[in-house]
Formats: sequence, C-alpha cells, structure tokens
Amino acid sequence: MALEPEGERAGELCLGPATVRCAACGVTYYCDVDHQHADWVSIHEKICQLLIPLRTAPPFYNSDKERKLGQEQKRSREIFLAGMTYDTAQNFLFEGNHEDAIPAALHSLKFSISIHGPNSVELVPAYLVLAETSLGLGHLSQGEEYLSQAHWIVLKNAHCSRDVQAKLHRNLGLLHAAKGNLDDSLYHLANDVYFACCAFGTTNHVAVAGGYFHMATVFFRQNRMDVADSLYSEVVNIWYDHFNHLIDIQYQKLITPAEIDLLSEEGGTEEDILDEKQQAEATQMLNPILEFREQSPKPRLEKMAKLFHTLAMFYYLIHDLPKADEFVMKVLQATEHLPEHEPNDSLYHLVKLIKSKPAYAK
Amino acid sequence: MSIFPPIPIQSPKPHPSMEEMRCPLPPLARMHLIKGKDAIDRYLAMHIKGLSKQEAAAYRNSYKKNICIDMLRQGYHKSFAELFTLIEKWNALREASGPGSAIWLEKSLEEQPDKLDQLHYFLTRAEAAQRSEYYEEVYANQLNLAYCFNKPEDRWLRNYFYEQCYKTAQLIKIDGGKKEAEAHSNMGLVYEEQGHFLKAVEHYEAFYNLTVGRTWKDDTGRYFNSLACEHLWRIYTLLADKMLGNNEHQEAIGTLIKAFRMAKEAENMKMEGETAFCLGIAYHSAGELKTAILKLNTYLEISKLLEDYVGLGRAYQAIAQVLVSQGQIAEAIMYLEKFMNIAKKVQLNQSLVDACTFLGNIYNESGNYYKACEYFNQAFEAANALSDLALVNETKVYCGIGKAHSLMVKVNTHTEAADPINIKYLLDWKENRSDMFADPFTVGKIHIMKHISVPLPLWLSHFS
Repeated sequence: MALEPEGERAGELCLGPATVRCAACGVTYYCDVDHQHADWVSIHEKICQLLIPLRTAPPFYNSDKERKLGQEQKRSREIFLAGMTYDTAQNFLFEGNHEDAIPAALHSLKFSISIHGPNSVELVPAYLVLAETSLGLGHLSQGEEYLSQAHWIVLKNAHCSRDVQAKLHRNLGLLHAAKGNLDDSLYHLANDVYFACCAFGTTNHVAVAGGYFHMATVFFRQNRMDVADSLYSEVVNIWYDHFNHLIDIQYQKLITPAEIDLLSEEGGTEEDILDEKQQAEATQMLNPILEFREQSPKPRLEKMAKLFHTLAMFYYLIHDLPKADEFVMKVLQATEHLPEHEPNDSLYHLVKLIKSKPAYAK
Repeated sequence: MSIFPPIPIQSPKPHPSMEEMRCPLPPLARMHLIKGKDAIDRYLAMHIKGLSKQEAAAYRNSYKKNICIDMLRQGYHKSFAELFTLIEKWNALREASGPGSAIWLEKSLEEQPDKLDQLHYFLTRAEAAQRSEYYEEVYANQLNLAYCFNKPEDRWLRNYFYEQCYKTAQLIKIDGGKKEAEAHSNMGLVYEEQGHFLKAVEHYEAFYNLTVGRTWKDDTGRYFNSLACEHLWRIYTLLADKMLGNNEHQEAIGTLIKAFRMAKEAENMKMEGETAFCLGIAYHSAGELKTAILKLNTYLEISKLLEDYVGLGRAYQAIAQVLVSQGQIAEAIMYLEKFMNIAKKVQLNQSLVDACTFLGNIYNESGNYYKACEYFNQAFEAANALSDLALVNETKVYCGIGKAHSLMVKVNTHTEAADPINIKYLLDWKENRSDMFADPFTVGKIHIMKHISVPLPLWLSHFS
C-alpha cells in the first residue's frame, strides 16, 4: 500500500484528495489538518488502532478455511466498530454537540454499509443520527437528503421496526418544522407518536413524550395555545409517571432494611436510574415547558405544581439535590393556594429521599 | 333459583333516535374515508394528477392508523390515547381468553371502520369541548358514544363510556346535578345488568337523593324521581330475593320494607302490591305468620282494586299456604275455593290447576280421599285443556295417588269385615291384579288404575 501514489488517496471525511496521514495508525488520510483534528476529537482517537487490521492488505491465506476465518474476523470487527461509532455519535448528540457527532456517525454509516449492504434496514439508525446532526447544525438540505435515504429504505422494507420508524418520522417532522411546513411536520410527528405507541403498546411510555412535545411546539407556533397546553400537560404527565415510578423503587429500598444480597443489589441499580438518553430528553422537554408555563398569562396552579414536582423528582434522580430541594419548595408554595389540596404521598417520599442523602445533611 | 316471582332485570335502553345518528362526515376531506378498493380507484380516476406522499401513505396504511394519525395531527391526542388504549385493552382481553372463547371469534375494533368513525367523530368533539372546559358538551358526546354501542358484543365499550359520562358528570355544576343524576342511573343499570346489585344500589340511591323534589324529566317525559323510585324498588326486590335464598330473613324483610316505601313514593299500585306479596312470602319463611297474612291481605286488596285476577289468585294461594302452616285447614280451604272460582271465572287454567292440586293435597292429607280425587281430577282436566305435557304428567301422578288412597279405604273395610265373601273378593283381586276388568272395586276406573301402577308400591310402603 505504501507504494500507491499519494494523489489516489481519499480523505477520511470529505473524500477529497488527501495530503495528511495519521501518524499513529498510518492507514487514515485527510485532506487537511482541520479534518484530521475533527476526526480525532470525534472518534478517531478511540478507533485509531482498530482500523489497522481492517485497512491493511489481508495476509496470504493458505487454505479456504483460513480465508473464511479471516473474513469472518473482519466482519465481526466491523460490526463492533459500527456499534461503537454509533454509540459515540449518540452520546455527542445527547450532549448537544452536533459538530463532533458527524465524523463518528459517518463512520458508523460506512461500517454499516460495508456489513449489510447499501439498502438494508440496519442503515436507518445511522442515517437518522446524521440527519439529526445536520438538522441540529441547520444544514436542512443535507438533513433532508439523509432522511430521504432513510425513508426510502424504510418504505422498501415493510418489516422495519416500529421504534425506528417512529424516530424517522420524528426527524422528518423536525425537518418540516425547521423548513416552516407546519402541516407536514404535524403529519410526521403524528406518525411518530403512533409508531412509538405501537412499539411499546401504551400511550404512556417515555418514548412517546418526545413526539407529543414536538407537536406541542408546532401547535404553539401555529398559535393554537389550547392544544399546545394540553399536549404539554400530557408530556409532563408521562414524565411524572416515569419519575414517580423510579422514586417509588428508591423509596421502597430506603424503607426496607437493606438485605445483604449482592446479586439483587446489582440487578436493582439498573432500573432505578435515568439513562443518559432519558436525561437529555427530559432536560430538552421540561425546561421549555417550564418557560411556557411561567410565561402564560393565567398560570394554572395545579399544572404548575405538577410540573414543579416532576422537575424536583428529575433533579433528585440526576443527583442535583439543591435544585431538587428548590423545586420541592415551589411545589409546596403552589399547592398552598389550591382550594382542595391534599398532602401528596409521592412528594413526601421524595422529601424523605432527599433528606436521606448525606450530601444534603451537612 | 328465585323465591319471588321473576322481576325483569333492566339494562340501559338503546337511544330512541339512534337510527338517525349515523355519523356525519367531518367537513375535512379525509383521504382515509374512502374505504373500499373501488372507491379508491374512483378517487384516483378523478384525481388523475397523482398522489402526494401522504395520500400514498394513506392508501398503504390500515384504517385504524389513518384515523389515529388524523386525530393526532389535529391535536386530539387524548382521543387518540383513548382509542388506542381501548383497542389494546380489547386485544389483551382476547389474548387472555385464548382461542376457542367467544371473544376469539369476534372482530377487533380496528377491523370495523364504522365503529372507528363513530369513535373518531364523538371523541374528538368531546375533547374539543373539554379543552374549552364545556363539560356538558363533553358529556353529551360521551353519552352518544355509549348509545352507539348497544349491541351485546359491544357492551364493554358502552359500559366504558357510561363510566366516562359518570366521571364527566361530576364536573358539571351548573345544572344542579341533573346530568350527575342521569349518570348515576346509567351506572346503576350497568351494574344491575352485570349482577353487582350492591354497587347498583349505591348508584340508584345517589340517583334518588339527587332527584328528590326535582321536576326533571327524561326524553320520554318521565319524572326522574319516579324513575329513581322504580329502579330502587326493583333492585331492592332483587336483593331481597337473593337474601332469602341465603336464608337471611330479617335482612330481606328490611330491604323489602325499603322497596315498599319506594313503591309508595312512586305511587305505583302494582309495584306496591308486588312488594306486599314478596313481604308476605318473606314473613312466612321467617315464621312470622300473622304479619305474613296481613301483608298478603294488603296484596289481595290491591289486586282487587286493579282487577288483577292472576294476582288475586296468587294472593289466595299464598294466604292458604300460610293458613295451612298455621294449621287452619278449614280457612285455607275456603280461600282456595275462592281462588278456584276466580280461576274458573276468568278461564285461567294454570291457576285452576294450581288451585285444584293444592286443594286436593289438603284433602289428601286430611284423609278425605274422595274429595282429593275429585280435585285432582279437575286439575287433570284443566291441565289437559292447557296441553302442557309436563303438567299433565304431574297431575296424572296426583290423580293416581288420590285414587290409590281411596282404594285403600275399601281394601281395609273388606279386610276388617273378615267374612268369607269379603276374603273371596280380596283373593280375586289379588289373583287378577293384572286383569283389572274383573276386579270388583275398579270396574269402570281402568284409566285411573293404570296410573296407580306407578305410585302403588310407593303408598303401600308408606302405609305399611
């Protein structure tokens, strides 16, 4: 490979003529230092060494058996890399770091194509991440292209999973919203909600909340406040139920004497914490709703109280105790003015949990 | 097994104007309303310019999905959630019952576009009203939905929407509780139909309390209050019947007294009479015979007033029964003869059979076998006139018992006389038992003797 003329090498990101080579792996080329830096920050640092066996010429195999083994090995390496690059891209997205997500997502797409071929359903998630980053950066036409690809694949594969279809329609909805086609946007978001509900068999799943939230935003832009308000309430309800469930589990653990059973403890920690994705989504949805509610001309106290309560639980779950405490106070203030307010068990549990944390007791 | 005469359980009525309530199309040109293949082709021919992506998708999608998406994009997310949950609930129910159950063969909601249309139409209207907090409108739409689903296989939907109505009605304050009362009444009917009488009583009582002193009327022009009384009367009677079945006499009597009060308040003589009769029976089985007769006499008076001959007969019979358990046979016979006369007069063969059998039984037990035979014969003739085979057979047996008993007397006299002639008679009879013609005691009674052959060993063992 070292014998190949330089001009035929394509840059890793832009596929332009390459002039720079990564010194660590020696198999990755870039058109300039900027692209190399971008790739390094995003993903290359993690996969640099892993690329070597994929990109150097395969050794000479003595038998068919060995050749097959070698091919299988290559395939499993690619599958691993596709998964890892996808996760990295997702994590950048959760942090809101669209720029850095692009190289990782591109790699994910490349590996997926190499594994599954250009028309397979497995490519859709990678396309969706790319589309999301493009939309996040405001590159609408780029995003539309990715989404059209994804849509076309989904249309050709009737048995595509509902979850993926929901995500596709959510991104399509966001695209149309960004382009100002509010009606089309609503259509796609409606599809998103429908597929998400079908995927989980219930309309109260956290995965549905996103669709509702974006619909509410569109209705807000259409100035249909009553619909937006009702949808926002629905979103808050879904998160409320979800957090409440988690808080309940933690509270049960708090009041039942800890059993000395390492196995069960390990199993238990998984379900009572928020994963990064949910954390990002909750922040993305609840804060704008809070803003909306605070700005509305005639705030409804019971709705406010529920939102504060949800936020308090949220901050507790992400271990931001001072904020959690602040919102508990707000709940109490809001409920004081309600005509028929009854002490809420769930709030009481939350306060107990907050008090039980050593950091708070200082 | 019920002790009282049957009281029809009521269930909610279909709405009278249901036929005209075909779901009108919403003003929107909804692609998915084109249901059949032909219609789609026609639509394509008319709009030859081609389909947009959305229209193409609408063609590919199921009807349920189109309806759902249509609701959502217009912002009716609660309607969507309700519809979706209902469909999921039904599917879960079906899965739980498994193949082979009745529900397994039924069509799912998603395969019935007409019902989906109705749900779509009314649910979205209800939600729109709810957004502007106009709860009466919400209530009206939910009630319409309940009326829509009145077929037996849709009961679960109807009950669900009655429940929703009930929840909504509690938010309506302006009308002084009229809607709430109506909702209570409907819930009561639902529970009554399901056999949850205690829950039904709760709702009917709430219905009653809300309508006391009000002049509200329903669609057919009936006062709510009298409706409430009627419902309560019926449910109390049903409850009391159940209690008597469990031998809870005092509770049953207490409940029946409540029912009586309701009947009085509803100013319905017939209901009053029924309850008096039931009370009589309840007191009778509780052992308070004097009170029982008092109550039955009330029923007698009311039946006379209403010229209800069946009721009159029933009253006489019940009184006679109480008198028999008091041991006042003569009086019982008097009442029964009255009963019989009435039955003859108005051609009530069933009552006549009852009366004759009863009388026959009384005479039979007091040893007056000739009279017993006579009445059993009458019962047999009346039963023949009714041509009710089971009844005819029953009366045949009674006739047999009567005849056998009367034969018994003759056999005894012959045996006691103990002279050669009598013994010869007896021996003849004994030898020719199969040949009934030659028997001196049974000449001309051949058809009766045939019936004796069954109960004969019975009474022989009884009297030996």
